[in-house]
Amino acid sequence: MGWFSSSPKPMDDPSKPPMRSSRKQCWESRDAFFTCLDRIEVVNALDPSQTGAIKSQCSKEESRFEQDCATSWIKYFKEKRVVDYKREKFMKEMEEKNAQKIELPGLVRR
Amino acid sequence: MLSSIRTAGARRVCVGVPRVSSVFSRAFTINDRLLNEKEVETNEAKSEVVSKRKPLSRIAIGGSSGSSQRNPGGSIEFTTWKAAALLVLVGGSLFYFFDKEKRRLQIEKEAEANRGYGKPLVGGPFKLIDQDGNEFTEKNLLGKFSILYFGFTHCPDICPDELDKLGVWLDKLEKRGIRPQSIFITCDPARDQPQVIKEYLSEFHPSLIGLTGDYDEIKNACKQYRVYFSTPPTLQPGQDYLVDHSIFFYLMDPEGKFIDALGRQYDENTGADKIEEHVKAYVPSDKREKREEKWYSFLFK
Repeated sequence: MGWFSSSPKPMDDPSKPPMRSSRKQCWESRDAFFTCLDRIEVVNALDPSQTGAIKSQCSKEESRFEQDCATSWIKYFKEKRVVDYKREKFMKEMEEKNAQKIELPGLVRR
Repeated sequence: MLSSIRTAGARRVCVGVPRVSSVFSRAFTINDRLLNEKEVETNEAKSEVVSKRKPLSRIAIGGSSGSSQRNPGGSIEFTTWKAAALLVLVGGSLFYFFDKEKRRLQIEKEAEANRGYGKPLVGGPFKLIDQDGNEFTEKNLLGKFSILYFGFTHCPDICPDELDKLGVWLDKLEKRGIRPQSIFITCDPARDQPQVIKEYLSEFHPSLIGLTGDYDEIKNACKQYRVYFSTPPTLQPGQDYLVDHSIFFYLMDPEGKFIDALGRQYDENTGADKIEEHVKAYVPSDKREKREEKWYSFLFK
């Protein structure tokens, strides 16, 4: 994992909380990276079989994303992308089958 | 219970109806009497007309006294209109009142159910410190409504979103005269020292209080509030990790008792409305107990 060898990121500093500006920067780099992944049609960036494609097509976006976001966030956002994709696909399928959506109070929706 | 209120309301509306019809019948009797009087007068007048003046007079037969009697006759329709308006007004306002009262009781019952019987289900004693290093315990919850949120400062996206939403709620509620005390409790005591929390919260609503403590105290507080969290007890230097935790806003009453948990389904508007409803429906426990002994206690069940 490349980012461990680089200098420690300010986002990883346990004595400083991530502030609004650094969060925003991280989210923007994430969105740019994910847009690139959309372009090469990669959903799961953690899938080792996709590493080659990502490295060749989105290396610039990936390194910015990894520099701007805390180490734990990188994995979290990559996992979340897969979950979000699956949810969206599921909802679309259900909609095609004319399923009725039920709102459950107290149920966590993200 | 609610249906009994409804029928009571309906009954009161019904009571109004006979009164309205009596107004009608009175109006009609006046009318009949007037007609009879007029007939008599007409007969008398006819003989006079034959003998003397103004055969084509446009003045009503019966002279000036007739025109003064016409007014109550003309007010028949006015009375009908007034009665109808009164019915709509009384019925409408009764419906509005009972509908509102029904909603209030519903919210109150919801809070009562959440409060639990006997031992409280959510909430209890804790001893933490705030972002300025002052002690903060469950006693600090007394005397005002409180909103509690469990999170951690290194949270990637959900906690900051939720805290921003809380800020919107607090601004909205303040405009409506409701100022709850809002508290952020960390689930990550190893990293979230008071000064870290202070810096983090400085970018959110200014009234937010941030609490931390040592691992066991945080664990205890989370247990009291049934908050699940997954923080490692010891922190390795330079380690970056996430904390899984429950995401709910806990609304506590001025007696430090749990009212409701607000999840992510509440947006910037519905959450503020829900809190407002709870604050308005709140009845202190001594009053609730006193009410239990009253003959009309069935109304609140």
